[in-house]
Amino acid sequence: MLTSGLLFYILAAAIVLFAIAVVMSSNPIYSALYLALTMVTLAFMFFMLNAPFIAGVQLIVYAGAVVVLFTMVMMLFDLKKEQEAFARGKFTGFIKIASAGWLCGLIAGAVYMSSEMIVSGSKAVSENTATTKNLAIELFTNYILAFEALGILLLLIAVGAVSISRIKGGTHA
Amino acid sequence: MGSDAFEIAINLVKMIVIFLLMVQLVPLLVWIERRGSAFIQNRFGPNRVGPLGLTQLLADAVKFIFKEEFIPSRSRKFLFYAAPVMSLIPGALAFGSIPLSLPINVEAFEMFGQTWGPYRFAFQSFEIGVGIVFVLGISSLGAYGMLTAGWASVNKYSIFGALRASAQMISYELALGLSLVGIILIYGTFDFSVMISEQTGPLSFMWFGSEVVIPFLPNWGIFYQPLGALLLFITMFAETNRAPFDLPEAEAELVAGYHTEYGGLKMNMFYIGEYGHMMVASALMTTFYFGGYHLPFVDPDTVNTALMYNGYSATMASVLTALTFHLVFFAKLFLFLWIFIWVRWTLPRFRYDQLMDLGWKKLLPWALANTMVTAVVVFLMRSWS
Amino acid sequence: MTSLVAILILALFVVAFGAGLLFLVSLVGPKPKYSSLKDSTYECGLPVQETGHSKIPVKFYLTAILFILFDIEIIFMYPWAVSFTEFIEQGMGLHVLLSMGFFLFVFIFGLVWEIKSRALEWN
Repeated sequence: MLTSGLLFYILAAAIVLFAIAVVMSSNPIYSALYLALTMVTLAFMFFMLNAPFIAGVQLIVYAGAVVVLFTMVMMLFDLKKEQEAFARGKFTGFIKIASAGWLCGLIAGAVYMSSEMIVSGSKAVSENTATTKNLAIELFTNYILAFEALGILLLLIAVGAVSISRIKGGTHA
Repeated sequence: MGSDAFEIAINLVKMIVIFLLMVQLVPLLVWIERRGSAFIQNRFGPNRVGPLGLTQLLADAVKFIFKEEFIPSRSRKFLFYAAPVMSLIPGALAFGSIPLSLPINVEAFEMFGQTWGPYRFAFQSFEIGVGIVFVLGISSLGAYGMLTAGWASVNKYSIFGALRASAQMISYELALGLSLVGIILIYGTFDFSVMISEQTGPLSFMWFGSEVVIPFLPNWGIFYQPLGALLLFITMFAETNRAPFDLPEAEAELVAGYHTEYGGLKMNMFYIGEYGHMMVASALMTTFYFGGYHLPFVDPDTVNTALMYNGYSATMASVLTALTFHLVFFAKLFLFLWIFIWVRWTLPRFRYDQLMDLGWKKLLPWALANTMVTAVVVFLMRSWS
Repeated sequence: MTSLVAILILALFVVAFGAGLLFLVSLVGPKPKYSSLKDSTYECGLPVQETGHSKIPVKFYLTAILFILFDIEIIFMYPWAVSFTEFIEQGMGLHVLLSMGFFLFVFIFGLVWEIKSRALEWN
């Protein structure tokens, strides 16, 4: 178990480092690429925690779709002006302080809640597809309403995206 | 990786050998493509250097190495160099997760005055239970190599090529993901090895409570999922950016797409990425629909016992059996790779709106229909008895 | 667990292989001689005019967003597909089939709506 502990800390350190790099890099493209790295490392972390299907979903949806969209958008706009606008200013400063405070709150909450979770004990599952099948059973029994609602929510998002793209007069239409 | 030094060492070597095998197949495929296209177009192709022009591969490799390393002055230097390396990763990782043959069983033996326990080495870089999801996830990372190459070149052809390539990739990824749902429904697993072991013996299935056996056909996935196989194969062409879907490299409009500014070995790495993707696609077709490494009607155990009967030790027989079925796998793989090449030199290129229409309005609905029909049929046949 | 180590090692090896090859080739090949013409961006031989950035049709972003939405829906079909036979054996087959049927109905409704609303037209 020594190696798994070591691996966990290496992956965790990589995730934190890449996430910091996302925030620290001044070029939005590099931010997007670091975000992709963060997502991939996070997928490996899920894999290590015996949730291989969630790891695959993380790769397909986040690293392979959402961040690809970010990267596409960033690469196609010339973000020189926006970069300067977001670098300084009172409003930006306020947002920076607010998000730093929010992050501290999140970390405190996570630490507070995880101390209870460790006591209640975690179920170790070894079989690979067993977790996927458990997921399916949960999805189609306890969370069936949420699952169907999610389908409708995704439809609504699609309708919204199409409607917004119809608006004329934008800068990049 | 393993429990002792021997197992770890073998696993590491195996991983690197499979990767290098993939890289080494690329020049061979380039040769096949050049000779094949010449044959199709009634030309000779490379036939001067060595027998059948085969040492042309070596000459090309030497030329790649001794090319002048120049990069455009306006490009983003680091990402310009990083993009070719990024394009290598998805193909290599995805190919590593596909079983290329039967696992090798090694009996316990004595070495360095110590007993080394029995081992079982899988004929793949790493065994992964959720193989299909992993391969889909890893290949969707291929868009980064292209996008980075396009952006780092600071060239309008490159950026448009990258944009087209990634938009095309993501459009066809939907039909790709959905066409696989049918085969997962039938076999109920994400594991490649389990899926292959289900495809042995003659074709047999349950038909309204009675078992039907067709002795002259192998039990391959293609007979359960013909539409799924066709959809997967078409989407794979689009995913690999090969003709007739090679719009990102449409030379009349975009010069060479996202690798316009690349030359020498860096260009070669994009080639390795593309051919690696082709190999993964062919390996997936083989694994899902054509019985993987199994030869129809030949039981691997029979081969193994026959070899042992002929005086080979258990370990040696296992190794030889695995190599035999590895050759079977490669025969099937090369068949699909040849179809990739054949189609490229036969069909003309799509227009961009035709490409998008095909992906969203034809393949996606057909894949949906395939999923629904498969689900209903599986439900009826399984719950009949 | 062990396969994760293998994946990470293979990924690192591939990166090292690519980077090492690039480095070695830069040592072996002839040293580049700089000239403003050779180092300029390739625009079919004409003097460089564009900056490499220009306005892009909003269509590409729309396609990407729609892709993400459909991708999430397809991902939800995977756990369903992999455990469908077990559901049937447990007698829950019809329940699961109908639940997925409704989900697929919403999916198809969305796809048909997008085709009808000409959001996927490219000409």
